[in-house]
Amino acid sequence: MNAIQTDTLVYEAGRFRLHELSLEIPTGQITAIIGPNGSGKSTLLKLITTLIAPESGQIVVDGKAVSEYNRSQYARTLTMLPQAKDRLPELTVRELVAYGRSPHLRGLRQRLSDEDEQIIDWAMRVMSIRRHEERMFHTLSGGEQQKARIAMALAQKTGILLLDEPTTYMDIAHQLEVMRTLTRLNREAGITIVMVLHDLQHAAAFCDHLIAMKDGEVAASGAPKEVIQADFLREVYEIEARVSFEEQYPVIIPVVQPIEEESTMIIVTNISQITKGDGDKLIERFDRIGKVEAMEGFLGLEVLLTQNLKDHDEVSVVTRWRTKEDFQNWTRSEAFKESHAHRKTPEYIISNKITFQEVKVKRNPILTESQDLQAQAQ
Amino acid sequence: MDKLQRTRRRRWLLAGCPLLLVLSMLYGLMYGSVSVPLQEIWPALTGHSNYSTIVFDLRLPRILIGLLVGASLAAAGAILQGVMRNPLADPGIIGVSAGGGLAAVITMVVLPQFSYLLPAAAFLGAFGASLVVYAFAWDKGSAPVRIVLAGVAVNAMLGAVMNGIMVLYSDRVQAVLPWLSGGLNGRSWHHLSFMAPYAIVGLLLALLAIKPANLLLLGDDSAQLLGQKVERQRLLLILLSSLLAGAAVSVAGLVGFVGLVVPHAIRLLLGDDYRYLMPLSMIGGAALVVLADTTARTWFDPVELPVGILLAVIGGPFFLILLRKRSQWR
Repeated sequence: MNAIQTDTLVYEAGRFRLHELSLEIPTGQITAIIGPNGSGKSTLLKLITTLIAPESGQIVVDGKAVSEYNRSQYARTLTMLPQAKDRLPELTVRELVAYGRSPHLRGLRQRLSDEDEQIIDWAMRVMSIRRHEERMFHTLSGGEQQKARIAMALAQKTGILLLDEPTTYMDIAHQLEVMRTLTRLNREAGITIVMVLHDLQHAAAFCDHLIAMKDGEVAASGAPKEVIQADFLREVYEIEARVSFEEQYPVIIPVVQPIEEESTMIIVTNISQITKGDGDKLIERFDRIGKVEAMEGFLGLEVLLTQNLKDHDEVSVVTRWRTKEDFQNWTRSEAFKESHAHRKTPEYIISNKITFQEVKVKRNPILTESQDLQAQAQ
Repeated sequence: MDKLQRTRRRRWLLAGCPLLLVLSMLYGLMYGSVSVPLQEIWPALTGHSNYSTIVFDLRLPRILIGLLVGASLAAAGAILQGVMRNPLADPGIIGVSAGGGLAAVITMVVLPQFSYLLPAAAFLGAFGASLVVYAFAWDKGSAPVRIVLAGVAVNAMLGAVMNGIMVLYSDRVQAVLPWLSGGLNGRSWHHLSFMAPYAIVGLLLALLAIKPANLLLLGDDSAQLLGQKVERQRLLLILLSSLLAGAAVSVAGLVGFVGLVVPHAIRLLLGDDYRYLMPLSMIGGAALVVLADTTARTWFDPVELPVGILLAVIGGPFFLILLRKRSQWR
């Protein structure tokens, strides 16, 4: 039996789209949704929680189409811990957790029953924030605030709990505590847990089932050890890495590949012999013709003046081009014609020689900083 | 603010606000062109005193109107600030009062024989203005900043139309002018009887709106995850604030600052919880308007200052001081 099932979901927003997404999330298990940024993980959660509506397709929760639930009924069946973005009002921890009971209160009623109070106590105990219950929420540390928010979601007493990056911004001790608590909740209270995670370690160690998304589609799904493999990292995250498992934890070692770039380049050298002392005049003339920089495939230009020859000066104009065609396009261009056709060759030019060279360029860059960071992130 | 401090402040305000209201009402009943001694107030109210005409016929209705106007405006401000998640939301600022005001001016100038319909017209005008603001600000959900921007624009437009009508009907404007500057001068039992039903219904509904208003504080997503129909509730709450603002505008004209200052002062002292914010705003708003109106009509004798002017003069600096005191203002 599946807790959540989506059937050919289509959703588009700007450049982002989910295309006919169909997936199944098993009941009574912990499922992690993983994938690179912008792959549609949070969008999927928002669709499931009906915070946004799909263009087509349907979502079935506990065997019933989402559209058949009313709002408060749905809030007693499934809830989500959103990413901590909204500013919360000034409340004590207990008051915040008590908000979780609102879908269970009828209409405009606000008074909590003894049962409600017990559930609030239970939720705070589970998240071990009971000792903070009388403190103001905003005076807690980031990790404790997150635990209080999870406690509020628990107080809703839903069978299905979605969490959007629950451990982001937490230190590792809090992260592990939260992951263990969620595991315990799943085992002892039978709550189906679905979370978006960036940490593959947590995903593998604490989850029963992984769904990997990429570009709005499911790229892989299954048990962690089956999913987290070298091909998966290559396909989904576009990284090269060796993967092995140490107990249930994956060890991912990024492979740093020597990157070699090879390309070719055309060097055109135009050497003019100039009557002694007149080299400057030709260079001055070049200064007035500046249109070559705008040409497609133009890589660079040097003008060299040699004045230490015995009977003449020498001016070399060296241009570099990506391909031969790019240079030819320049010689055929209006700008080129303009700068050559209507002028007589000045008398001070004795002779003129053009040479072409096609050269091969090989670059072997050292590992750049950004690649280094990427390797760390993995 | 920690919990202990908050509990202490709650107790103080729960006792202090009603006391302040009672004292301001007594002050209003006692003072004016003729001073009535305290021991004569009760006999006068029950009709066993020479002062009955002054106290019962003149001062009491005016005080009750002030009370309802203040409570309505403060409640409307408290609701709008929560619904639009914006501290600047106030019926006077986002065009709700101006909508009510325009409808009231049209009624008074063009259809003077239907003056008993003023509150209804003001309510419809206020609601129309809020709908326009809301419709323009709507984009797959309503962003608070857009609402305020649209509100400011609508406010300016409505103000222009109102001024236009006053120029066009300048012969009939004399009757409207004192009303426009926001005052309670010459308000009687008759005025009270036509605005009170709207105001009382609005205030009662505002007490019922505490739960949804509290849930909206968590943000739209969280409120929806807690089972709220967010957009529908937002619309209903805007409707409710229009009713309250319309009731106030219909009898007192454009009285500003109450909806902004009172809920804010309470919020700064007690936090955002509407279980306290809503009733205390009502009582505080009522006390403020009654007090200010009495001051406005007694201190500048023989001139009666419209209460709207006095409220702006004392409300503005008060608000600035509160703003300055709060370190982590958002």
